[in-house]
Amino acid sequence: MLPIVKISNLDKYFGRLHVLNNINLEVGEREVVCIIGRSGSGKSTLLRCINFLEDPSHGSIEVDGVRVAVGGKGKQQRQLIHDVRLKTGMVFQEFNLFPHMSVLENVIEGPVTVKGMDRKHAVELAEQHLDSVGLLFKKDEYPNRLSGGQKQRVAIARALTMEPRVMLFDEPTSALDPELIGEVLNVMKKVAKDGMTMLVVTHEMGFAREVADRVIVMADGELVEDNKPEQIFNAPKDPRTEALIVRYRTGGG
Amino acid sequence: MSAFTKGTEGGVKSQGDLLFEAQQRQQRGFKRNVGVSWGIFFLIIIYFFSGQSFLGIKTIELNTDFIVKNIGFIALGLPQTLLVSVLAITLAMTLALLAALGRLSTIPPIYALSTFYVSLIRGTPLYLQIFFFFLALPQLGIVLTGLFAGVLALGLNYGAYMSEIFRAGLASVGKGQREAAIALGMTPIQTMRRVVLPQALRFAIPPVGNEFIAMTKDSALVSATGFVHEVMWRATRVGRAQFNNLEALIMAALFYWLMTLLLTYVQSIIEARLSKGDR
Ligand SMILES: Nc1ncnc2c1ncn2[C@@H]1O[C@H](COP(=O)(O)OP(=O)(O)OP(=O)(O)O)[C@@H](O)[C@H]1O
Ligand SMILES: [Mg+2]
Repeated sequence: MLPIVKISNLDKYFGRLHVLNNINLEVGEREVVCIIGRSGSGKSTLLRCINFLEDPSHGSIEVDGVRVAVGGKGKQQRQLIHDVRLKTGMVFQEFNLFPHMSVLENVIEGPVTVKGMDRKHAVELAEQHLDSVGLLFKKDEYPNRLSGGQKQRVAIARALTMEPRVMLFDEPTSALDPELIGEVLNVMKKVAKDGMTMLVVTHEMGFAREVADRVIVMADGELVEDNKPEQIFNAPKDPRTEALIVRYRTGGG
Repeated sequence: MSAFTKGTEGGVKSQGDLLFEAQQRQQRGFKRNVGVSWGIFFLIIIYFFSGQSFLGIKTIELNTDFIVKNIGFIALGLPQTLLVSVLAITLAMTLALLAALGRLSTIPPIYALSTFYVSLIRGTPLYLQIFFFFLALPQLGIVLTGLFAGVLALGLNYGAYMSEIFRAGLASVGKGQREAAIALGMTPIQTMRRVVLPQALRFAIPPVGNEFIAMTKDSALVSATGFVHEVMWRATRVGRAQFNNLEALIMAALFYWLMTLLLTYVQSIIEARLSKGDR
């Protein structure tokens, strides 16, 4: 498979803290990869290094053929990072919708401001994506009038409207009330089914098991296991994986 | 509220309803008594200046002829006062925003310029600053018109203090907002213009309103230079000329007070509208 994301020899330090330790990872086109791991194992940092919300300390990131190596400088490097950001969409745990903009304005903001798309075209595209997350009827509402689940679905539509090559989800359901998690996971399943390449940090083991093509286990800044979900959940090789999924195994079968 | 009234089925009031109503009655009563007290204070003050004798105590008598003759002259200062204040607050907001943004800069000279400006202005009296522009600059061959110098002095001064407001406004915009913008591919300038500033400015509107109201009163200081014919200048001029300072200053005080009440009212409307909207 053609890799959409290729992470090579990635290291990340926060001050003296070594948070990511020589990560190598490839994600193929249309692949859905779930990342699981204990709190503090570096999952978010890994995801955020891909679109340079964090500056990696070492190594390189390649997204859809655009390769950014740590150490590059100046205008050219900034352009490469910008290109990578255009190819990645990100969904945050806390939604981060823009509260001063309506739902529709939130969704067209990227295409209009960043891509310079004309408004009419952007609105068409935005409405299409809002429809696909089931929230077209809320397009004129402001975010504070939406439920958490609705906010997150708008955030997904906002990212999709930029037509990225890969979607990064950082615990998209962790801030939600339990009864709202399902609607967001359903939208994510749909996005996966439509062929989007996805990297999903999640504690939703059911989702990982059902939707992921691969599950990656992180511990202490390293990838300790990378396998098909059946393998991870039925025959974990690493004791740290076992510790992670034990609750799920006993709880859900 | 509706939840409480809805609870009253068939006229039977729950304990919650009763408590709520009692509380409301109490609040209404308090407001009414405050209003009545205001009225009484007002009447006392009017009586105090009425010139009437009461129980052998003679109250102060104001020269009504003087008041009638000069009230128009002083009132003509109101547009000047407002003009100085509006221009100065505009300048102040610009400077305050630049100073607040400067504090976020990682470029040392820009950061330093911002802190230098704020420190210098806050470390010296406003009165001195006003005179500096009127009296000290001409010595260097720079002669500013009265209005211009006044606006510059007030704007520079308020800008330094108001930079804190904008700093707080910028800080009120969460990190997640910037990250969402960056993740969409926005440049730092786009992020600032489209996402951070609109939220920061909305946050800053109520305190800027307070500053504007304060400014309308501090603008009286520029009268000292004698070149801007605003309310205070006019009051002291006619008051001194005819030795009726008491009447003149009382008129000026009432004008400032009325203006403040009016602006406070306008501000409360704006704030109500802001809080009703999004967010
Ligand atoms: N900005 C930062 N500055 C310093 N240390 C940080 C920063 N961000 C994260 N860390 C540290 O890096 C380590 C990895 O953090 P990260 O957020 O990637 O973990 P995570 O696996 O996403 O955890 P969680 O499940 O709690 O979200 C943690 O020890 C964390 O304290
Ligand atoms: Mg995390």
